[in-house]
Amino acid sequence: MATEGQTSSADRMVGMDHAEVRYFTSYDHHGIHEEMLKDDVRTRSYRDSIYQNRHIFKDKVVLDVGCGTGILSMFAAKAGAKHVIGVDMSSIIEKAKQIVAANGLSDKVTLLQGKMEEVVLPYPKVDIIISEWMGYFLLYESMLDTVLYARDRYLVPGGKIFPDKATMYLAAIEDGEYKDDKIGFWDNVYGFDYSPMKETALTEPLVDTVDMKALVTDPCPILTLDLYTVTTADLVFKVPFSLPAKRSDFIHAVIAWFDIEFGACHKPIHFSTGPHAKYTHWKQTVFYLRDVLTVEEDEVVSGVLENKPNDKNKRDLDINIAYKFETTDPNRFSEGSCSYRMC
Amino acid sequence: MSASALPSERLPVNDDARSVSSDESDLSNEEGWEDVEPDDETQPVVGLFSDKVYPDVRSMLKETKEKYNFDLQKIQKEFALDFLGTIKLVNYIRSQVKEGNTSPDVSSAEKFEDEVYLMPVLEDDALLYSLDDIEDETPESAGGTDAERRVIELQEDLERLQTQFSEYRDAVQRSMEEQLAQEDENLGSSTSGAAAQKASNKVEEADADYFTSYSYNGIHESMLKDTIRTDSYRDFVYENKHLFKDKVVLDVGCGTGILSMFCAKAGAKKVISVDNSNIIDRAKEIIYENGFGDVITCIRGKIEEVALPVQQVDIIISEWMGYGLLFEAMFDSVIYARDRYLAPGGLMVPSHASLRIAPFADSEFVASNISFWKSVYGFNMKSMLTGIHEEAMVRHVQPSSIPADSSVFLPLPLHTITVDELVFLKEFQVTLSEDIDELDGWAIWFDIFFMPSRDSPIADDAVPSEMQKKGHVAFTTGPHGTETHWQQVICLMDREKKRGVSLKKGQTITGKVGYQKKSEKSRLLDITIDWEAQEAEKGSQKWSLQ
Repeated sequence: MATEGQTSSADRMVGMDHAEVRYFTSYDHHGIHEEMLKDDVRTRSYRDSIYQNRHIFKDKVVLDVGCGTGILSMFAAKAGAKHVIGVDMSSIIEKAKQIVAANGLSDKVTLLQGKMEEVVLPYPKVDIIISEWMGYFLLYESMLDTVLYARDRYLVPGGKIFPDKATMYLAAIEDGEYKDDKIGFWDNVYGFDYSPMKETALTEPLVDTVDMKALVTDPCPILTLDLYTVTTADLVFKVPFSLPAKRSDFIHAVIAWFDIEFGACHKPIHFSTGPHAKYTHWKQTVFYLRDVLTVEEDEVVSGVLENKPNDKNKRDLDINIAYKFETTDPNRFSEGSCSYRMC
Repeated sequence: MSASALPSERLPVNDDARSVSSDESDLSNEEGWEDVEPDDETQPVVGLFSDKVYPDVRSMLKETKEKYNFDLQKIQKEFALDFLGTIKLVNYIRSQVKEGNTSPDVSSAEKFEDEVYLMPVLEDDALLYSLDDIEDETPESAGGTDAERRVIELQEDLERLQTQFSEYRDAVQRSMEEQLAQEDENLGSSTSGAAAQKASNKVEEADADYFTSYSYNGIHESMLKDTIRTDSYRDFVYENKHLFKDKVVLDVGCGTGILSMFCAKAGAKKVISVDNSNIIDRAKEIIYENGFGDVITCIRGKIEEVALPVQQVDIIISEWMGYGLLFEAMFDSVIYARDRYLAPGGLMVPSHASLRIAPFADSEFVASNISFWKSVYGFNMKSMLTGIHEEAMVRHVQPSSIPADSSVFLPLPLHTITVDELVFLKEFQVTLSEDIDELDGWAIWFDIFFMPSRDSPIADDAVPSEMQKKGHVAFTTGPHGTETHWQQVICLMDREKKRGVSLKKGQTITGKVGYQKKSEKSRLLDITIDWEAQEAEKGSQKWSLQ
């Protein structure tokens, strides 16, 4: 959902409010949607979870929250839904209407432009909610709060949500070379000291692909969201983590990713956005630590991750990672706390 | 100057403009108080009566007292000024000095009691942030160790600072609201509701400007790491130190200040660095930390609006190039600066640019960008193609997608070209060097040259690699050179309208390329291309670059 197409023109719109670029214009009618549709892991998982469960969708009223180009709505219509309602704020919905018509599904799919809180649905209740709401770090610029609103207002008791479970993981990585390129770069720029830029670089998490070989620790699940019960209050959280080292190595960063599960399926379908799994446009999120940790096999880095929306800009996330690496070797002992802002 | 990431697996979360209110987070952060003291002490401060940058407030006030016989603390005491009163005093002095009055009348506090002096005269004036520092210390804290007392003091300092700043901000906001409401009233054109709305929007904008520092790390990182770009500027400046020695240089759109520092290091007497983005705050810090604070003067604002401390400059250096060279129209500002400030015989760096066009044929590119939408997971999404041929794309073109030598359609001599000449319709001719199944579109890019004098001879169709062999600094942003962050502009032909035909090696294609601004003030660009290869392959199409 939240995207960063290197090829999209959003990158080029210097000086424009990025929220504006990302959210409220369909300026780049190809880039963003192309990247999402071409994310095969994502789109295929939704398709399979719908097409393989026609018995669940048959004759049901389905709501697609944040429908974009309407692909999920069309999957649901094809799977036999009685009616599908797609809602999106963006004017991409105009394209979606043309696409739905071009595919002969106009009588099955109603598309509404507007905020979920404001649009008037043709049905008082829906049987199924489908939505691709996930952002970077699962929650960055995510539409989850909109999905939860739709759930509370429109989903019948016993109704289903696709997907219905999200789990976030942490792990620590060796990333010396790249940390040097991203952070150390500012120490010497063409012979000049650029350290004023360094602090910002350290507080910006990177969305990036991480090689599985870089993992120094086992992953640790830190948060599970059950879409049937989660509330917006749960999206502000403070959770402990514990990362056991699999080998002796250095640790430069902590990374986060998430897995998504379609538990309502006859046979559950899930996909992962982790470093061990196939590439998705969500990649992984990298948080560089100020210090380099030197760990030995079976030693544990533990700590607490805290996440909350920024007070001033609700779309931004303030993330804090406090860690403690306890070891009998006083020279390697380390603890610290880093604040990050996803914006 | 165009901001886009270099092709890299790793990108910052956000390449576009982002804001981090680092100043404020320092204050609001729970642990921020630990940083208050060191931060204040390391904050460089601009002098009250000169552009000189001092490492801290104390040294500035000391020299101001000694050199200009002006004792801020004394006046503060004399009139028993509170925090807001002192802010007004500082802004009053700064505004007087800005207007050329170097001995402002401070005989009475009435001189500067007007609310207007709550508005900072300098962007991010470190003096205003550090006023608390200059107040006399009155250590009366309760017992405990020195360290504990110090902690308590600092905590109190922080609380006081926070309160003072919120008061200050409220006061600025009130006075601006009043001012703006009055302006609206004077205009008599809006309803009071709209006026209030407008005022509050403006205040918010101003607020954001005054109190947050924006960071554009991603953009500046990708530009600095574009070594083709940055190396060229560095090489020219460092290899021609004799040109820069003791000269006054203007850097238009200075960004993080890298070009300014190159010039300072090459021996420039004075460098004036202008940028209208908040990045200039970072530039100031960087310049100061690298010890160029006394050579380089940073000015925030539009070059058309700011007042430079000099009448003339000897050299204008600027990295103004956008996608397709002229996207973002920053070059207009550079031309303005040249006409207004460049001394007769002065040098433009770079000195020449040229725009090139070549035919583009790449069926895989077309399949991935166009045909893709014809069937997406079994659905027809052709609607997504509506308008796709009206937009030029910025991408990396494979050299194998260019079946002909390129042709220069506009040489730009930077010393003489005018803004009017940036809107044009120019002829070109290319000859295919291989057979192609069909023509898919056109690719456009530019070359940049750094000649050491206004009169250096250079051909309109000069080739950067050839000029390099002659010892000149030059670079290309074309598909045959090393990739730059500018990539190339691709204008795809709409083959739904007219099918293409296969063309043979040796086929000549003639045509015209036009550049036009979307509107008078717009930074967007319209590109038109007419072409004719043979009866079956001719056409005309318009693209916008946005």
